[in-house]
Amino acid sequence: MIKLVTHSTDYILNTPNNTQLDQEQQQINDWLRLVATKQDKKAFSMLFKFFAPKIRNHGLKKFSQESTAMELVQETMMLVWRKAHQFDDSKGKASTWIYTIMRNYSFDMLRKMQTNKEDLVSEDLWPLLDAEEESEEQDHLQSKQLLSYINELPELQKQVVEEIYINEKTQQELADQLSLPLGTIKSRLRLAMVKLRTKMEEE
Amino acid sequence: MIKFHPTKEMLKAFSAGELPLSLSIAMSAHIELCDDCAEQVKLIESSLSDDTWESNLLEEADFGDMLQSIMNEEVIASSTYVNKAKVKTKVADQEYTLPTAFRQFNDLKWSGFGAVSRARIINDENNVRASLLHIDKNGQIPQHQHKGYELTLLLEGTFTDELGCYEKGDFIWLEGDVDHSPYTKDGCLCYAVQDAPLHFIKGMSKVLNPLGNFIY
Repeated sequence: MIKLVTHSTDYILNTPNNTQLDQEQQQINDWLRLVATKQDKKAFSMLFKFFAPKIRNHGLKKFSQESTAMELVQETMMLVWRKAHQFDDSKGKASTWIYTIMRNYSFDMLRKMQTNKEDLVSEDLWPLLDAEEESEEQDHLQSKQLLSYINELPELQKQVVEEIYINEKTQQELADQLSLPLGTIKSRLRLAMVKLRTKMEEE
Repeated sequence: MIKFHPTKEMLKAFSAGELPLSLSIAMSAHIELCDDCAEQVKLIESSLSDDTWESNLLEEADFGDMLQSIMNEEVIASSTYVNKAKVKTKVADQEYTLPTAFRQFNDLKWSGFGAVSRARIINDENNVRASLLHIDKNGQIPQHQHKGYELTLLLEGTFTDELGCYEKGDFIWLEGDVDHSPYTKDGCLCYAVQDAPLHFIKGMSKVLNPLGNFIY
């Protein structure tokens, strides 16, 4: 019933945790930090070069299917790109953090294949440690604050944010409605997001 | 003090994402309550990670424009992350906060059978049923055997059976040939995973076999 992991983990369980990173591990940590702080494309390309073939290899063993293995590479590396800033350098190896992202995504993929459910339960099984839990009050405060920031945006940007995030229009729908090119909508939205982010971070 | 823990093999299988959801929920909830196992899992993840990334003999693969398309994605980094709130549930006039692993189950439907109330968690895995069970004070489940395995994770309260006395966080794994009759003095809330119905074996309680199917 339970497939046991054949790799030996005994040696590491019986030796004191070695927090000193070796050269390769340090390099990976450095790349991830550059991605986190500056969205450094060169550093991300290095991470991709190192991890993508290994993730594909792992996916092929697990799913025996090229397309699924490629999906695992795509989604894992996308999450690394998007969530790099969540990695806490002081907590250990970046490579382990990337492993857990891949593990979580493949758990959800497997469940989807077996039950046809997209319940994305992995983030509940392996919750982000140290994250604060939302409270209704906090949530309420944040939404209120965010709404007030949206109100302070220049009129054209405000309109785009409201239509897309509050009235849930797609970017294409909004472009059609305003008879504007899609690119204009995208760039207004991007400008608005940068402004909102700065405001939220200033607090 | 938690006395009953998952085996090292189960911790490894969980960390590799290889356990089914029903058991993964139990592992995650136990780890949330048990610092020792949480510490072990950290080490195991690190070691599994090293094993996974070690492979040097790799096929050439063409990733096309995957790298470029990922980097074209705009990143909106927020400096604080918030977890969704844990689920609270009310049963037998008491409110309980469930561990993080249960965050998806915010619409639990409790149904009662004497001192026992049940809320189904999972029934879509082959032959496996997972439920939350609430047993009222002085409640007893008649002596029974399991045909397969039964995992009980004690979430609140205490209970005892022929094999021992259990407290919050205890992870109790029974294989088919053990029979037991759990009793709770002060009431308890458990998460139970079984891979075959309970089978009552003693005298009159045989008529309770429908109860076995209910709990299962």
